[in-house]
Amino acid sequence: MTDFAKDFPILAQKVYGKRLVYLDNAATTQKPDSVIDTISEFYRTDYSNIHRGVHYLSEVSSERYEEARKKVSDFIGARNPSEVTFTSGTTGSINQVARSLGSSLRGNEVLVTGVEHHSNIVPWQLAGAKVKAIPMDDDCNLLIDSMEITNKTKLIAIAHVSNVLGSVNEIKEITEIAKDHDIPVLVDAAQSIQHLPLDVKDIDCDFLAFSGHKMYASTGVGVLYTSDRFSDIMPAIGGGGMVDKVSLEKTTYLDPPLRFEAGTPDIAGAISIGAAIDHMQKIGMDKIKKHEHDVHSYARDKLLEMDIVTVYGNTNEMCGAVSFNLDNIHHYDTGLILDKMGVAVRTGHHCAQPLMRFLGVEGTVRASFALYNTKEDVDMLVEGINKVEMMYK
Amino acid sequence: MNDAIQDEIIKEFDGLEWFDKYGLLISFAKELEPMDEEFKTEDNSISGCQSKVWIRSYNKDGKLIFDLDSDAMITKGIIALVAKVVNNRAPQEILNADLYFIDKIGLKSNLSPARSNGLESIISRIKEVAEKEASQIN
Repeated sequence: MTDFAKDFPILAQKVYGKRLVYLDNAATTQKPDSVIDTISEFYRTDYSNIHRGVHYLSEVSSERYEEARKKVSDFIGARNPSEVTFTSGTTGSINQVARSLGSSLRGNEVLVTGVEHHSNIVPWQLAGAKVKAIPMDDDCNLLIDSMEITNKTKLIAIAHVSNVLGSVNEIKEITEIAKDHDIPVLVDAAQSIQHLPLDVKDIDCDFLAFSGHKMYASTGVGVLYTSDRFSDIMPAIGGGGMVDKVSLEKTTYLDPPLRFEAGTPDIAGAISIGAAIDHMQKIGMDKIKKHEHDVHSYARDKLLEMDIVTVYGNTNEMCGAVSFNLDNIHHYDTGLILDKMGVAVRTGHHCAQPLMRFLGVEGTVRASFALYNTKEDVDMLVEGINKVEMMYK
Repeated sequence: MNDAIQDEIIKEFDGLEWFDKYGLLISFAKELEPMDEEFKTEDNSISGCQSKVWIRSYNKDGKLIFDLDSDAMITKGIIALVAKVVNNRAPQEILNADLYFIDKIGLKSNLSPARSNGLESIISRIKEVAEKEASQIN
């Protein structure tokens, strides 16, 4: 176990009498002591509802919540904490944008990539837009030169990193082109925020969405970054805590971010994101990136060496996930045996059916890494695959 | 209700480690007569995200026969066992059947509703067919 893994108590356990090798991090990451303790301490000492009360605890809670917002803002390089809204997660964030932009999207087009998670496809369709994909080559590199922008293109919504392949899309190139056409860009950072240093000013996107639970924080909470440029857009969800004046005839709204946070938010969840950011920053995002890159490259190399394994996708930069299949062995059968070997992977279509169709498969086995994974974990995966091969021979 | 076929299956799995249990399931899967491709239609499939399962049935002299197949081996092994237990029985008998062997051989986790395509949906499909057939008899 590395020093990084020692901070995550759940990883110390055995499953089926074997060391747990947790390689399902693209689905969700485990939580370090610092995050668990922060949540527990918050409920023990500081908890109350925020932005409402005149009393002591409400003040403390509000301060801690806003402190978390500031941490997120600094972490992603936002110009102002007001650009950071807490949501229920990446899916919630994207749906919020879809509903806010609704009328401009209806009957028009949203440009995505071929590797999108369903949560960056379905919200646009629900908003009445037609979803079109930027073409890609057989290795799943985006063919940005062939990207077709028409006068109907009202938004470009792209995954930074594929949840299936671990391919890193060249989002800066896309935002540059989008800028020339004055089209807003949404970046789905659910699979990059925990792996790569990220700066919204540098990327120059208008919206950025990610989840707390995939970056070592708790579930049910996430972030939507909305560039100040869009601060006057209508809120998607109405309720308490987001209004200035309400009458039966007309309601006026608070300024962002509170305008976008109707109802009592996941206060402890937001604070857990702050704690998770502290944890990652203590190690350093550059160090995390380098360590994970070493493990990820090692995994790809090892898998590519195996005759029975087909690895999907091969782009210039990769991180997070590796997807593969074994010849003539169903991904589900592979996953079941790996599980019994203590190796937790994900199998199936990973909520990316258009990509599965592109790859010509029903599903894949996905191993996905986090900062606590090591080359030894990869060796256990390889040993597991050998066992799978032996079982079905 | 105990029955000889289920008891026989339980005996075969008794005391095996997981490795051998899966090995046994794989050998049952290999013994299962594959379904003709022409019958692997959308109508005959039980959809889910993990593995595909196809099911068709017919009545032979008042007894029901279920023809089952899957694209995944372990699933195929489990449905081969289910087929062994339910085939060649009268509809009412299938309706009344308690498939206790699944729990006894330690495959209950494959029954959880979270595993789409888990045994639960297969068994409910079998019971639906049996119910329909039974109502036609009565």
